[in-house]
Amino acid sequence: MLTIEKLKEYGANTEEGLARCMNNEAFYIRLVNIAIADDKLGALGEKIESGDLSGAFEIAHGLKGMYGNLSLTPVFEPISKMTELLRARTETDYSSLLAEVNARKKELDDLAK
Amino acid sequence: MKNIVDEREKSIRRTVLIVDDEEINREILGFMVGGEYDVIYAENGRVALEIINEKRNVLSLILLDLLMPEIDGYEVLKTLKRDPALKRIPVIVLTSEKNAEVESLKLGAVDFIPKPYDIPDVILARISRSIELAEDRYILNSTETDPLTGLYIKEFFFIHADRYKRFVSDGKTDAIVVNVNKLHLINELKGRACGDAVLVGIASKIKDLAKEAGGLACRFAGDCFYIYADSQSDETYSEWTDELAAAANAITHDLRLTVRIGIYRSDDENEIIEQIFDRATIACNSIRQHGVKFAVYDGKMREKEVYGERLLADFPNALSEKQFKVYYQPKYAVKGEKPKICSAEALVRWIHPELGFISPAAFIPLLENNGLISELDKYVWKTAAEFVGRTKRERGVAVPVSVNVSRVDLYISDLPELLAKTAEESGIESKELYLEITESAYSENSDRIIEVVGQLREKGFIIEMDDFGSGYSSLNTLADLPIDVLKLDMRFIRNICEREKDHMLVKLMIDAAKVMEIPTVAEGVETEEQLELLKADGCDIVQGYYFSKPLPEEAYVELLKREG
Repeated sequence: MLTIEKLKEYGANTEEGLARCMNNEAFYIRLVNIAIADDKLGALGEKIESGDLSGAFEIAHGLKGMYGNLSLTPVFEPISKMTELLRARTETDYSSLLAEVNARKKELDDLAK
Repeated sequence: MKNIVDEREKSIRRTVLIVDDEEINREILGFMVGGEYDVIYAENGRVALEIINEKRNVLSLILLDLLMPEIDGYEVLKTLKRDPALKRIPVIVLTSEKNAEVESLKLGAVDFIPKPYDIPDVILARISRSIELAEDRYILNSTETDPLTGLYIKEFFFIHADRYKRFVSDGKTDAIVVNVNKLHLINELKGRACGDAVLVGIASKIKDLAKEAGGLACRFAGDCFYIYADSQSDETYSEWTDELAAAANAITHDLRLTVRIGIYRSDDENEIIEQIFDRATIACNSIRQHGVKFAVYDGKMREKEVYGERLLADFPNALSEKQFKVYYQPKYAVKGEKPKICSAEALVRWIHPELGFISPAAFIPLLENNGLISELDKYVWKTAAEFVGRTKRERGVAVPVSVNVSRVDLYISDLPELLAKTAEESGIESKELYLEITESAYSENSDRIIEVVGQLREKGFIIEMDDFGSGYSSLNTLADLPIDVLKLDMRFIRNICEREKDHMLVKLMIDAAKVMEIPTVAEGVETEEQLELLKADGCDIVQGYYFSKPLPEEAYVELLKREG
């Protein structure tokens, strides 16, 4: 079960995330669980693979906002980097960044198990 | 949109729309603001626009994400900006991109909330401030402008015009008054909604014209508009009247309206705005002739204005110093073999110590327009009643005098008592003071007039309907009016010998009076020919230069003595 402690250990800035949620722990945990269940990250990989950088940017941008507002720092940082590259439609190899995002997201998912 | 602020004041709790495609972002924001505001959510721009249209009068603020599927935040901003009714709803943009801020501002956003979000206190403060500013602006706008036409109301117009005069205009300016002729007919014949549509159409054209001329405009009152702008040529003003009439007639179609424009050309920057518009109004009101479209305030109008101001200023002294003299024009009963004085009409003259004899045509309309006529009327009633009392005591029998009762006098709350007291104090009976009330007074607020006139008759006064034929009484309403004597409008008498039509009308009026069993008086009779014609038609009483001009008291008394 997801707890504030586990999120802290994961590296989330829970103090900041909780502040946005009016320090309501249950509400914060509920939102993090929604972020965990979100499957847009899979779609991001597909867009990048097909070379649809615009589509990829829209998804990355959305994820960045979501992770950022929950202060899920470990996954927020690599998705931010990706978002900025995609915003400029930079033709580059996104695989290592994507792998990092996926790895951090998996760690997050594991917290809930 | 009118009552939005009222509604808000009543309900206090405002409503905020949160537009973001990310559920978590929506939830966090909603959680933050939900304590203070009612929250509605939209997951994209399309849904947002549907909600905005439906709840335009409810929404106090929109929190708008920029990058969204279907319709994005920029499109939402553009749509709001295009619609004046939606433009007033403040939008705070939610963005993580610095460079999006300028574009959003240009599109009308009032503020930003950066992503990831600040702490709730900061966000709540920004929301609260944006709502407050928007509501203040709305209140200001709604009181600055006329709700029907969207033009300034006069108070704000004068403030802005004054600033324009001092800080913007560097050349000659004109104060322009635009009046729609006979708009009341449109209201009566086609309904108020059509009249309002005409005003909106004309206001829109006025706005364009004012803009072209580099100025500003307001709806001053009813069908009267003011424009303050850079000076234009006479040709341009002539074109304006055509364009404004065309704007009105595009709405009325079959009923053709015209406008008239009064202009004051101002080249003295120290002139007071209100005063220059008073002068433009004088110019506008000077247009009486059909076909004349505009008039520019000139030296003659200025002289007349100054003269009028002088008369008004001198009026209180004139009254207390008895500069007003009451003259008496005898009325002759012409039914018998020999015409015989049966009464007289009291007519007032102003003998000014410096200006000499002043025509009633000059001072009576002036006093009427400035609410002073009742003061003069009361003076005449008293003077005339005292005169009748004196002659009655001397001769043993009263020769009645008729006095004028202006239409505003009919609104004096204790008029019947006041007149009864005047008669009593002069030692005469009410029936020895005739009261002349013009026919046109009956057509406005006729119920009130009929009630007052009824009370006057109950007190015993004889009521003469003056200028009959000049108003719009129909013969069937005439029968219901409380009158004792019918006094024919002298304009008909003037031409009865030359114009058969006038003669026929006079005969018709005399016949109508016979049916009502009341006598008729013909005034303005100047020739024997007129007298004979009137006698043949059955007219009872005649007044006019043929018998006598209005006489000073002493001369009238002499005449009475002579005629026995």
